[in-house]
Amino acid sequence: MKTARELGYVGCYNCGTVHLPTDTTCRTCGAGLVSRKDNSLQAVWAWLLTGLIFYIPANIYPLLVNRVLGAEAGHTIIEGIIIFFEKGDYFVAIVIAIASLVIPVAKFFVIGFLALSIHFNWNLNAHMRLVLYEIVEFIGRWSMIDVFVVALMAGLIQLGSLVSVLPGAGSICFALSVIFTMLSAQAIDTKSIWDTAPKDHANV
Amino acid sequence: MAILTHLDLDKLIACPTCDLLHSVEPPQTDRVAKCSRCHTHLISPKPETYDRTIALSVSTVILMCAALAFPFLGMSRAGLSSEASILGLAATISDGWYHLLAIFLVLFVVGIPILRTALLMYTIAPLRYGKEPYLYSKRAFSWAETLIPWSMTEIFILGTVVALVKIGGMAKIQFGVSFWLFCILVAVIAFQNASVCRWTIWQAIRKSPS
Repeated sequence: MKTARELGYVGCYNCGTVHLPTDTTCRTCGAGLVSRKDNSLQAVWAWLLTGLIFYIPANIYPLLVNRVLGAEAGHTIIEGIIIFFEKGDYFVAIVIAIASLVIPVAKFFVIGFLALSIHFNWNLNAHMRLVLYEIVEFIGRWSMIDVFVVALMAGLIQLGSLVSVLPGAGSICFALSVIFTMLSAQAIDTKSIWDTAPKDHANV
Repeated sequence: MAILTHLDLDKLIACPTCDLLHSVEPPQTDRVAKCSRCHTHLISPKPETYDRTIALSVSTVILMCAALAFPFLGMSRAGLSSEASILGLAATISDGWYHLLAIFLVLFVVGIPILRTALLMYTIAPLRYGKEPYLYSKRAFSWAETLIPWSMTEIFILGTVVALVKIGGMAKIQFGVSFWLFCILVAVIAFQNASVCRWTIWQAIRKSPS
């Protein structure tokens, strides 16, 4: 078994139709044709860096602000986890810690690792890297759950001057960080992962 | 090696994920042809794909309109109560920079699912009736596919559950009609995604005169 590139053809990224190297647009789906997305790593790093930059204020500023009788109190992601831990709600604390802290940080590392592995042609198992990529793609969008929770709580708890919950600046930064990280993951060129794969994998 | 023409190349498919070449052998309906190296689904013909997709798309539009019209959640505490629809929630948090938060909510939960449904219907309706595809069908279907990860209805429903757990003892919560409609909508959208085989649709768009 050979890849389209090894035989001198170009496979469409969108629909898989095989083309001659002289073709420029896909005759099936109309997408532009490239054998490999040569600048994809730049896009990956650019989106990833933007996501990282927004992740910092997402942790410095509060996600939610409680306003009780005019007095405002907000807490950040980490403070929220600590509060639940001190209350003895270990289960809730662990769930929040995984969803809002561990997964976003792990995503940055995994995307960075994949980009480095493509850039330096690391001789690693391509299957393992593709699974990592699929996990990041699948989990990435689920981080938006925090943003929806903030929107729901802030929109719902509006009881006049008595109690209200407002969104905090951290929530917008968190949402932007999630969006940019998703774009970063989507920019990864999976075909490049297989180009650097050891030959024995290609001959299955 | 002999120079191959487009006609010969059409007998091949390059895996969009790993670029490995395969010869095209569409499997039976409801079975899946996977890439032999990376297991990406290449061809997965679905039964009555046009009818199902159109039916589920119409259901999506009806459910979404209804879900927007009714209250989503209600809450009460100490004699005070409030009730909010999804758009009402967005309007409440819209203030200054938080407009962005409201825009994300409306876009990912309402706008993109509806846009995707519209694009699918635009692409598939003419195919269903044996007509030639409408103008820009190719672009429409490409966009419908690109938007899949940005349609976040199921995440929103899980977010609702988490928000309810967090509000917990603070107030009494009532589920609105819209909440249940939205739960059904999540299932319908999942079936809608599962009723489309990319390869089949691309071949149909392409073979029709356009």
